[in-house]
Amino acid sequence: MTLGTWLALVVALVVAAEAVRALRHRGLRSERWRRFFRQRTTSWGLGILTFLVIVALAAPLIAPFDPNKQLDIIHLKNYPPSWTFLLGTDYLSRDLWSRVVYGARVSLGIGALGALMAVSLGTLVGAVAGYYQRWIDAVLMRGVDVGLALPRIFILLMAVALWDGLPFAALVITIGLTSWFGTSRLVRAEVLSLRQRDFVVAAHALGADTRRVIFRHVLPNAAAPIIVSAALGVGNVLLLEASLSFLGIGIKPPGASWGNMIADGASSIYTAPWSTLFPGLAISLVVMSLNAVADGVRDALDPREEPA
Amino acid sequence: MTAAWLLRRLVASVAIIFAVVTFVFILIHLAPGRPCSHFGGGEYVDQIECNRLSAQFGLDKPIPEQYWLYLIALAHGNLGYSFSLHRPVRDAIADTIPFTLQLAGAALALDFLLGLALGIYQAVRVNRLPDIVIGNVTLFIYSLPTFWLALLLLLIFGEKLRWFPVGGPNNPVLCPLVDSLYCVADRLWHLVLPAATLGMVGAAGTARFQRAAMLEVAAQDFVRTARAKGVPERRVVLQHQLRNALLSFITRFGLAFPFLLTGAVLIETIYAWPGMGRLAFDAILSRDYPLVTATALTASVVVVAGNLLADILLGIADPRLRVRADPDAHVLTA
Amino acid sequence: MLSAMLRRSSPQLSVFIVLVVAVLASCERRGGCTGANCGTLIDAQVAEPSTLLPPSTEEIVANDVGEQLFLKLADVGMSQNTLGDEDFQPLLAQKWEWDGPLTLVFHLDPRARWHDGQPVTAADVEFTFNAYTDSAVASPFRPKLRRIASVTQRDSLTAVFRFRERYPEMFYDAVYHMRILPAHLLRPVPRDQWRTAQFGRQPVGDGPYRFVRWQTAQSIELVADSTFFLGRPGIRRLIWRFTPNLLVAVQQVIADQADIREQLVTPENVERCRAAKQLAVYTYVGNVYTYLSFNLRSQADSTLPHPIFSDRDVRRALVMAVDRASLLKSALGDLAKVPPGPTSELLSWIWDPDLRQLPYDTAQAGRILNAKGWRDHDGDGVRDKDGQPLTFHILVPTSSVLRRQYARLLQEQYRGIGVHVEVDELEPSVVGQRVGTGKYDGAIISRSNDPSPSSGIAQTWTQAGFGGSNSGRYYNPAFERLVDRAATATTRDRARPLWRAAIETLNADAPAVFLYALDNVAAVHKRVDNVQFRADSWASLLRTWRIPPDRLIDRDRVEP
Repeated sequence: MTLGTWLALVVALVVAAEAVRALRHRGLRSERWRRFFRQRTTSWGLGILTFLVIVALAAPLIAPFDPNKQLDIIHLKNYPPSWTFLLGTDYLSRDLWSRVVYGARVSLGIGALGALMAVSLGTLVGAVAGYYQRWIDAVLMRGVDVGLALPRIFILLMAVALWDGLPFAALVITIGLTSWFGTSRLVRAEVLSLRQRDFVVAAHALGADTRRVIFRHVLPNAAAPIIVSAALGVGNVLLLEASLSFLGIGIKPPGASWGNMIADGASSIYTAPWSTLFPGLAISLVVMSLNAVADGVRDALDPREEPA
Repeated sequence: MTAAWLLRRLVASVAIIFAVVTFVFILIHLAPGRPCSHFGGGEYVDQIECNRLSAQFGLDKPIPEQYWLYLIALAHGNLGYSFSLHRPVRDAIADTIPFTLQLAGAALALDFLLGLALGIYQAVRVNRLPDIVIGNVTLFIYSLPTFWLALLLLLIFGEKLRWFPVGGPNNPVLCPLVDSLYCVADRLWHLVLPAATLGMVGAAGTARFQRAAMLEVAAQDFVRTARAKGVPERRVVLQHQLRNALLSFITRFGLAFPFLLTGAVLIETIYAWPGMGRLAFDAILSRDYPLVTATALTASVVVVAGNLLADILLGIADPRLRVRADPDAHVLTA
Repeated sequence: MLSAMLRRSSPQLSVFIVLVVAVLASCERRGGCTGANCGTLIDAQVAEPSTLLPPSTEEIVANDVGEQLFLKLADVGMSQNTLGDEDFQPLLAQKWEWDGPLTLVFHLDPRARWHDGQPVTAADVEFTFNAYTDSAVASPFRPKLRRIASVTQRDSLTAVFRFRERYPEMFYDAVYHMRILPAHLLRPVPRDQWRTAQFGRQPVGDGPYRFVRWQTAQSIELVADSTFFLGRPGIRRLIWRFTPNLLVAVQQVIADQADIREQLVTPENVERCRAAKQLAVYTYVGNVYTYLSFNLRSQADSTLPHPIFSDRDVRRALVMAVDRASLLKSALGDLAKVPPGPTSELLSWIWDPDLRQLPYDTAQAGRILNAKGWRDHDGDGVRDKDGQPLTFHILVPTSSVLRRQYARLLQEQYRGIGVHVEVDELEPSVVGQRVGTGKYDGAIISRSNDPSPSSGIAQTWTQAGFGGSNSGRYYNPAFERLVDRAATATTRDRARPLWRAAIETLNADAPAVFLYALDNVAAVHKRVDNVQFRADSWASLLRTWRIPPDRLIDRDRVEP
């Protein structure tokens, strides 16, 4: 670790902490934000996520070494954590901290992308089904049933088996295309209950066209399950990508992904436990934080707690 | 739960499986090249073998006719030939189903018992120290990658403490087949670590969910009324909150199957458990297309059957649902 | 009903279940086996064989199990001398004599029986030779038998081998490569279906052990044949247990759930096994060498040359770019040696670190590549020529932790000189298929040496091995002439300089990067006596291992 990278790391930590504090401060004015920050874990979760996002974005500044470079395969193999190698080195003498930092880009990026795709598709389908009802609803929901019947990992395994040399981008898209089913059901349920409400009927009476009604009036009120879905979706996609990389059909070597780092470290788990420990902790931290934030959103937007 | 409703659900399930079969067929035919290998020939099959497979699966016929032949083959239970295992796919899968069901069953049991217990305990001691501690622990466990947890458990309990065996479904010396009560116990002993890994993560999720569900019910009027009427606390908890929370659990039960099957792939690979997940994974590495697609189909059937089971259980347990004809009405939360 | 069950709160119910299981588990099944021929040994194995039919597979595991099930006519002794016939041990053949310079006559032991009761006859020997050399069976051992013209039966216990030419290792070729097969059981099986035949999943042999069962993905179990004519085996039961992961396999041995791990591979595993109280660690001469094979022909069409590897100078540069000594130190410490050519230390009379090899010299490698037109024209860090980047794939099996590690190490070494490498990891059987049919760029391959270089080295690096073990299709007529002369030399002293010259020729052509030759380190449970490892095949002497009656443990006493 050089002075520059230490500085960058500290700056990232400070910025994340300050951002959360600033948000809390501003939020004290609104009832919803107060509810959001009610649990301590939500603030921590938000802080950790912000920090990791900053780290991922600023990876070239924060990572002291090239994540794929094998620094010294004889002397620095499986080196324990130290001031130079913050998290130690792995069995190919690559700096773990740098790999975790660049791995954050891969894992968070894929998680975000996959979740974005899933939530968008799910919201669209759910909203259309819930709003239009009748046969559109029936067809779409049967489709969702079929989609939910096939466990995701088997679809992905089939894709990998059938298409030789499938680029990882295609795999990510497939993950996104197969993760929207649960969200669509949630959104549909919300839309179903919302469309009876007064403001929707009023909007119709005033002559607003259907699409406008969906996007400007119904969806914003259905925000709670959508946002929660998104937050949990990132976590799910992240775990799925980690699983695939662990099984050896995700990111190819030498690319760093938290999943394949655990796989790489598994063979030295006795002599160098840090090579499996830290990527695993990283994954858990992110998923935990996402869950905490999702809890907070649920608390904040819970309709039961709205003043009547 | 009327017979008509049951019939409708059965028909819907069959329709879903049919749609999945069609989807898989389309996927196989979209994939590039190697027509012979898709139906049991392997990557480098020679011309004679390819001709034999063409005749058997009608690979030279137009697509609609192939589809029809494919459906007929499936209806007869012919899932193709696995060239990496040198046996019919159906036999290979049949051998693994008991193992996967044992693993999933044990994991589900652990999930249910532990999760329910923790969730109830948390709700009863809400916002006090036990609740907060358990809440954070479940959050952490719920976020763990299952394969990481598996490696750690193997290290600690298998090798260091030697409480449990290091992988495998049985003691190959004493119990290559389960033919006695002792061997049943042996199988259970080998099942502990893999089921614990899968079950713990599930239990953490269930605990979180149950806590929320029970708190929701607790706030409702009828419970407050019961308390106000002087009904003893224990009965209030058990009869009212528990029953309603249980209904929510059964609702979630249907969702457990995809999670269990997905988790099974990883767990079985690490623990050398010869179930369907490990079969699918080995099939991938061998590029054994017939085997991979057949495991996907089987997994779907299991999921659909699980959902059907969940719906039936819900129908039995919740009298309110018997009246409603639309089973989609119960909302699934993540 | 539901509420009644729930009234008894859930934690108590689960405790009850756990107690029941614990009680059941503690009732051990005490078997009755006592005495000198009990014992169960479990081998923690990583790779599962595809078949147990000997001519159809080169897999090392299949060979290990085959050693117990099927007999050869005779076998090499501990001295590994393959010249003449003095150092060979009789097995199926009780005695033999030369009936002329090109005719070898074997007299079979009349006590030999197949496990189904039928006697072993010369008809089986004749049938076996015809099967091994039949192109429909496509046995990888076929090239090794090319100098035997025919095998016939003179009477039911006499088999006659006729050779095409005289050479020092005639006896070795006649006995070492073939395991004799039961003609009466295999004749009905069509030859082109031998690889997938049911016999390969349920073999019937004549060896010291009988086949019991093979549970796919779990285990293979063999039981001792107490009437075996060369002496009852000491260990009653042998079980090969399959675990896909070397780490877990070693864990099993350390946790006393398996007895043998015949190759520990990494220094960490060796450390942990030495620390385990119940294990004894044995070292014996390694017989396997591992190399990165360059495919000299195109993947798509084997009649066309490979776009990169067909150029000898480029290959030489690629070999010079690899620091083999450092890679070895990093991955294996001092548990292996850098091979000076296509050989392991088993061939100790040829092995010589001073043999002429290409040096590690990245500067020279870079100069050669530049001279050949491979420069980085577009500045992306990868050399290119005519718009094509200098990139290739390395194929490795998922079952080998070591080869996967090497693939990554090589990837980084090549990155340093501007060559882009992709690593493909696939299941061992698929890798075997691709390598066998020449559908790869580069692959990290492990080969075991036969006790004689004239069968092993010749098979893998000459034209005779095209379509078989010579997967990269290396061919150099000068090399082949040297090999032919070396193989016909009558003594080792005369053969040695010829083999040296041959290997140096091959090294100069750079058809492969010779990476490591493992020293074999095995872990075996301490209770086993008379543990002998013959260097060319560790399992060949399993039937002589013993467990003294006072050291029997629970799994030994169980009756099968």
